Order: sequence, then structure tokens, then C-alpha cells
Amino acid sequence: MHKSSEPGLIGRRSMSAGLAVILAILVGCASTPEPPTGSLTSAREAIASAEQSDARQHAGAELDEAKQKLMQAEKAVESEDMLDAERLAQQARVVAELAIARTATAKASQVNRQLHQDADALNEELQRMGGQQ
Amino acid sequence: MNALTGRQKTFAGALPALAVSLLLLSACASQPTSPDGSIEVRNKLTALQNDPELSERARVELREAEQAVQLAERPLPDSEKALASHRIYMADRRVEIARATAATKLAEDQRAELGEQRGEARLQARTREADRAHADAAQARSSEADMQRRLAELEAKETERGMVVTLGDVLFDTGSAQLRDSTNSNLDKLVSFLDQYPDQRALIEGHTDNVGSADYNQRLSLQRAESVKQYLTQRGITANRLSASGFGLQRGIASNDTAAGRQQNRRVEIVIEKD
Repeated sequence: MHKSSEPGLIGRRSMSAGLAVILAILVGCASTPEPPTGSLTSAREAIASAEQSDARQHAGAELDEAKQKLMQAEKAVESEDMLDAERLAQQARVVAELAIARTATAKASQVNRQLHQDADALNEELQRMGGQQ
Repeated sequence: MNALTGRQKTFAGALPALAVSLLLLSACASQPTSPDGSIEVRNKLTALQNDPELSERARVELREAEQAVQLAERPLPDSEKALASHRIYMADRRVEIARATAATKLAEDQRAELGEQRGEARLQARTREADRAHADAAQARSSEADMQRRLAELEAKETERGMVVTLGDVLFDTGSAQLRDSTNSNLDKLVSFLDQYPDQRALIEGHTDNVGSADYNQRLSLQRAESVKQYLTQRGITANRLSASGFGLQRGIASNDTAAGRQQNRRVEIVIEKD
């Protein structure tokens, strides 16, 4: 099947190669100088809300990682490696979001533990009361 | 494919699209497998998706994780190792976010259950409390009924000051404050009552008719009250629960004009104070 259509395909392949080169140049031109401001802002905002939700206490490692990634992203901007800066900013944001999610989990389990203790205490009291009767 | 060659003219317009797809194909040819590390992330996600307690509790986050993992699984050329590890990092964190979100939701759901259990325990506690209060009340009622029965035996009359037991003048010889030797069943019933209710106090009050001077009657009524008090203390009732006083002829309850009236007025009253 391939053999019968090969002559036509070769002609198109040479054309498409040319097109690909043009596309690659265009993409390269577009991404060079601009710092990833949007991603950096999102990362900073995510870190700020993580700190607000007590992530320092409940997900310190994730928060530290997010801050480190953000610092690396800022350094990458200084050395004009904008592609790296963009990726690091995205990573900073996602790990800050993870810090928020893990903080919520820690808080929820803490509340449950407290409830369990209360329930145990109540049961104990009930048993004591039962014994008095 | 033969059909394709026949339609070459129509394909001329679709050339750019074809070029892109060819580019992708050639990429596949040089690096056909998913980047290293994407398998681990996929496994992590699959485990989470198969967790019956967690999979339904973070749908949005799981969908985002699925997309991130699919992106990380896309084959890349060797030259894009940095992009590959970036995608894997992102996918891994997305899976972890989904897991944490589901765990939070699970904890919240369990909390609701726990709250119900606690409510149940509280309800049991209240029921028991109510039962006990009920039992206490029943016991109180029965002891009250018992007291009423005993007071009735003493032929006590209910007054504003409390229950009043009247001991007639048959207890004493005329003009004497000495209790007759013969045992008095009414007095013994009083002893038994005061034994049973150790918190009850009793006021012993002597009264006389109008025969003789007021001074004489006053003295006699006090002496008779004191005699009764002595009788009670001799039978074990502590003296500080008892007080004796004489009213002489001041508080007659019947006319002194007849013998029967005068007899009614010669008496000792025991007032069992209200609590």
C-alpha cells in the first residue's frame, strides 16, 4: 500500500519540512524576550494563600519548595531564560496549591481526632453513669 | 491509499495540516515511548482512581490530574528532557492535590458520621438521665407516701405550721407533770417516726384548761411538755431536734365551760415542722 503512494508523499514531505522550519523560527522568535509575568503572579498568589491557610504549620515542606521554585523562576528571568522561568513558575504554583490541599487535609483530620476524643470521653462518662445505676 | 492518490487535488488545500501531522509522526519515529517517570505517575493516578474511598471525592481534581498525566505521557525527543521532567513534575503534583482533596472530603464525611454517633451517645445519656430522674421522683413519692401513712397513724393533723400530733391528758395524772407509767402507743409511734426521719424537728407544746391560776397552768403546761421531751430523748431522739414550751390556758381549742371541753384543752401537741 505504501509503495503505490510514495512518490506523492515525498513531494509533500519536502514542502512540509520547509513549513516546519518556518514555524519553528516563528515560535522561537515569539518566546525569547518576554518574562512569564502571568505565571509568576499566579505562583506568588498561590504561595500567599498557602501561607494564609497555615501551610507553614501543616505543609511546611511543600511551602518551602514552592518558594524555592519561585526564587529559581525569578533567577531564570534575570538570566533571560524565559522558558525555564515559565516552567518553574508553574511548578511553584502547583506545589503551593498542593501545600494548600495538604493543609486542609491536616486540619480536617485534626478536627476529627478532637471529635473522636470528645466522643470517647462522652462514652466513658456514659459508662461511668451506667455503673452508678 | 489508492483512493487517496485519486483525490490528490482535494488534498492540496489540507497540506499545512498534513505537514504538522507528519512532523508529529517523525517525532514519534525517533522517540516512540513515553518519557521516563510518566509510568510512575500513571500508576499513582490509577491507584487513586481505584481507591473506593477517595475516587469519588475529588472528581474535578482527578480530571485535572488525568489531563496532566496524559500530557506527561506524550512522547518527546531526547532534546526535550527538561520539558518531559517538567510535565512529570506537574502531573505528580496534580495527582497529589487530588489525593489530598479527596482525603479532606473523606475526613469531612466521616466527621458528619461521627457527629451523628455523638448525637446518638448524647441521646442515650439524656435518656438515662431522664430515667434516673424518673426513678428518683418515684422513690421520693414513695417515701413521702410512707411519711403520710405514718403521720396518719399518729392521727396528725395538717396545719400551717406542719403536722400536729395531739397527745391527750390521759398521759398525765391530774395536776401532775409525770407521764403515766403505762406505755403510750402514740408516743412510741412518734419515737419511731422521728427515728425514721432524722432530719425532722419537733416542737413540743403544753396546753391546759382554765382551772387554777394562769401562772400555775403556764408552769404545768411547760413541765408536761418537758416530760414528753424527756421521754423522747430517753428513747434516743437527740435533744437538739426537740423543743419544749408551755402555753398554759392561752390556746384553748374548746370551751372551758364543759368537762368535755376542758379535757380537750388539757393536751400536749407535737408539731412536726415542715421542711
